[in-house]
Amino acid sequence: MLTIDAKNVDFYYSEFHALKNISLEVEKNKVVALIGPSGCGKSTFLRLLNRMNDLIPGTRMTGSVLFEGEDIYAPNVHVDELRKKVGMVFQKPNPFPKTIFENVAYGLRVNGIKDETFIEQRVVESIKSAALWDEVKDKMKKSAFALSGGQQQRLCIARALAISPKVVLMDEPASALDPISTAKIEELIYELKKDYTIIIVTHNMQQASRVSDKTAYFYLGEMIEFDETTKIFTNPKEHSTQNYVTGRFG
Amino acid sequence: MRHLEQELVSLRQDVIDMWRLVISQVSNAGEAILSFDKDLAAKVSLREKKVDAYELKIDGFCENIIALYQPVAIDLRFVLAVFKINSNLERIADFANGISHILVNNPSVILDAEVILDTRLQVMINQVNKMLAQGLEAFENEKSNFAAAIFSEDSQVDEINEKSVQVIADYIQKNPDRAYECLELIGIFRKLERIGDHCANIAEEIFFYIDAKVLKHSPKDKK
Ligand SMILES: Nc1ncnc2c1ncn2[C@@H]1O[C@H](COP(=O)(O)OP(=O)(O)OP(=O)(O)O)[C@@H](O)[C@H]1O
Ligand SMILES: [Mg+2]
Repeated sequence: MLTIDAKNVDFYYSEFHALKNISLEVEKNKVVALIGPSGCGKSTFLRLLNRMNDLIPGTRMTGSVLFEGEDIYAPNVHVDELRKKVGMVFQKPNPFPKTIFENVAYGLRVNGIKDETFIEQRVVESIKSAALWDEVKDKMKKSAFALSGGQQQRLCIARALAISPKVVLMDEPASALDPISTAKIEELIYELKKDYTIIIVTHNMQQASRVSDKTAYFYLGEMIEFDETTKIFTNPKEHSTQNYVTGRFG
Repeated sequence: MRHLEQELVSLRQDVIDMWRLVISQVSNAGEAILSFDKDLAAKVSLREKKVDAYELKIDGFCENIIALYQPVAIDLRFVLAVFKINSNLERIADFANGISHILVNNPSVILDAEVILDTRLQVMINQVNKMLAQGLEAFENEKSNFAAAIFSEDSQVDEINEKSVQVIADYIQKNPDRAYECLELIGIFRKLERIGDHCANIAEEIFFYIDAKVLKHSPKDKK
């Protein structure tokens, strides 16, 4: 079964037609990169996958998005439940003003988990999965703000992983990071693929080509091409994709 | 124009310049052999170093572009193709030089007009010159179809080469005192045949670069 199956999705911000007839299938344990020039609709599409756009007034969507075969926009779906399965990491690290430990435990606590042993175990696991453990194991009770940008971003990834989602959505997770932190995040994505399905928005072509199995190229609200990443970066079908990946755009 | 595009433009120009030099090396070597022109042969030998210098320059250029710009899609295919075309051109120039050397090193070699005619040496020389020029034309104009004929021409070159062996063997039986020159002649055919092979390799690279088609180790007639 497909993990994500978006079918004929159209999306409007009031009058503005931001996504035009997008259909995209994502298989389990794959990494899909969304690329395209600024304003083409990548973040809009990503947010649709865990209903983050619901919060924006005046928006409208047609078409459907299935998660493991279930329509996530069906009336009986609980958004909180959906977001436990489809987590998100944002462009800017946004730790809470809490300790490192509590940042990662947060999702578990709001989900009503009280078993402290379980929480502690899950926190440690998640921080390890996020390749952050060695750097924070001695300062779990310190404020998350005491971490570097790259560490904060991995903390946010750990926070997303703590609630055991199936899909992790990442919107430019490394855009604010130095090359070493970026490399760590990329390695991490590669590792996470074993257990999660990942959809990542990135402006960095090399990053898209390094981390993803498939790449979707968006332009002006349309999905121009969606194919194996190797194909997109060696011999894309569409001229417009070629112009974008080779940097001849515009 | 972006910096990468400028780099690709000058890389392309270097390859074209090298290609023209190699074309003149091959045609001069052929002419030298056909007309026993030792001065022309010596000139080919002298210019061999220039070809080698181009090869090194283009190799370094490709390496830098890959390291600094990480080209993708058509740009990547272009750089990879150039990298291989470069080494094929250098090999071709080596063979042209080898042909010239036969004249330069053996001042006494005079080939009989009869055996030259019967083996179709001139046809073979014209053929490889034509293949080299077609390759360049395809590369310069980014039109792979200009290179399409090269594959069948390579087969013709192979055929002339094969038939020449029998002609030369017959000639040696009749003129045993000319055996040495005849062995040199076989060497020339062999080198021309190899030049044809390298032209076909280059044509494959042109199809890879322009059409993203991999023709290596596959029958070429279905294009
Ligand atoms: N809240 C909003 N209200 C109205 N229009 C919006 C809103 N968010 C985005 N848009 C518009 O929708 C289009 C797509 O925006 P989106 O943020 O999805 O682009 P993007 O591809 O993620 O761009 P970037 O690479 O710059 O992040 C843009 O034209 C944008 O102006
Ligand atoms: Mg965005």
